[in-house]
Amino acid sequence: MNDLPMIRVVDVHKRFGTLEVLKGVSFDVHRGSVVSMIGASGSGKSTLLRCINHLEVPSAGDIFIEGESLCFRGAADGARKPRSLAEINRIRRDLGIVFQQFNLWPHMTVLGNVTEAPQRVRGMSRKDAIALGEACLARVHLRDKAHEYPARLSGGQQQRVAIARALAMQPKVMLFDEPTSSLDPELTDEVLAVMRELADDGTTMIVVTHEMGFAKDVSDQVMFLHNGLIEEEGPPAQVFGAPRSERLRQFISKYVQ
Amino acid sequence: MSDSLREILDLQLFWEFRTVLLRGLAVNFYVFAAAAVLALILGLGAALLRNSRFSPLRWLGALHVEVFRNAPDYVMVVWVHFVLPLLIGAVLHSRFEFDPFVSAMIALGFVYSGYFAETFRAGIEAIPAGHLEAARSLGMGEGLILRRIILPQVVRSMLPESINQFISLFKATTIVSLIAVPDLMYQVSMITQQQMRPLPLYTGAAITYFVIVLVAGSSLRVLADRWRAKILA
Repeated sequence: MNDLPMIRVVDVHKRFGTLEVLKGVSFDVHRGSVVSMIGASGSGKSTLLRCINHLEVPSAGDIFIEGESLCFRGAADGARKPRSLAEINRIRRDLGIVFQQFNLWPHMTVLGNVTEAPQRVRGMSRKDAIALGEACLARVHLRDKAHEYPARLSGGQQQRVAIARALAMQPKVMLFDEPTSSLDPELTDEVLAVMRELADDGTTMIVVTHEMGFAKDVSDQVMFLHNGLIEEEGPPAQVFGAPRSERLRQFISKYVQ
Repeated sequence: MSDSLREILDLQLFWEFRTVLLRGLAVNFYVFAAAAVLALILGLGAALLRNSRFSPLRWLGALHVEVFRNAPDYVMVVWVHFVLPLLIGAVLHSRFEFDPFVSAMIALGFVYSGYFAETFRAGIEAIPAGHLEAARSLGMGEGLILRRIILPQVVRSMLPESINQFISLFKATTIVSLIAVPDLMYQVSMITQQQMRPLPLYTGAAITYFVIVLVAGSSLRVLADRWRAKILA
């Protein structure tokens, strides 16, 4: 069981009408590793990440979470049937995602945001959920903000709450969709610092980012997407130090000072 | 001051009959509460239909809104009380009639559900898609999302507009005397005929309604603003 990759993406395609955003992407993510996805806007990296949480449904291909198919259910006769929403929701519990826009629920306190899913989806008691929620808030250094409403927090604090909210489901994988892209520069560091700590704790992470410093220092594997395909991948030293393709060289010269 | 003017402003008679008038006012509140509950339930239902993925359901929701929003209160009250029972009776092959209170509740509840549906819909559409995605990504089902993420936000965002609609609905309850629901206006007419003094009671009724609407409306607005302020940036 432990030999299975945590996530296996197999030949995933995604079309929006006539536009093919992903043109057959495959890769593995192993337990405890941090994978960064870089690439220009429109290269398909966010779409790919959203496919892994089934927020986008792949047009073709499949994704396996510890060997279990995200998109299809094998029937007795060998036919593959699309999974029901209930099954997808069950699998989603193990896939935490953090969005560019934070997406905290404004009518709940910080603690309410964090305890909502453990209580209502995992069926935890209120007491246990609060204990867990406070522990998760401590991991993002915001325990003292538990009873504030999101509107009272800075963008960086809101994003850290969003990380705590995803952590509270105790997911197997954390997915980050440009988590610092809508933050002012002086607020990105506090979010990146929290993400570094998660990586150090052995959290399996896939991070779509424009923060090349983070990709370079923290990831085990970097993937460069271009026009819906993985153009180049490898350990950060190789991808940033010895890029093979001209496109990656151009991209790096633009983004890395 | 002329006699007729003094008569208009004389509230003595109003005070004299205060118990029965108060009982009438209570009926206004009952009709209001029953119609409001019905209007909210039907309005939410119609709003959800209009957001449905299936086009026939969307059309049904739109039809509901257009029919009832465009029906005059008075016509609906009369039609529900006098015509609808005949139609139901024809289907059931027996005599059928509504209690006037029930007719009033159905008529006003349906008319105002048309307005509430649009308010609910605007509130639902105002919720950023990201809030729902965040909920889905945590494995929350659609029913749970509606109950925990959508409705609490919709209620807050639709409050200012729905306070206006509640006030209109309360004012609309004054026409139910036309089908003999014993509300304040009904009692006023009865006493007026009995005492043969047409004017003073109507002034009292007008002042009563005005004060209630003013006080309830403005205090609800203050409360709503305070409650909403917590979650707005």
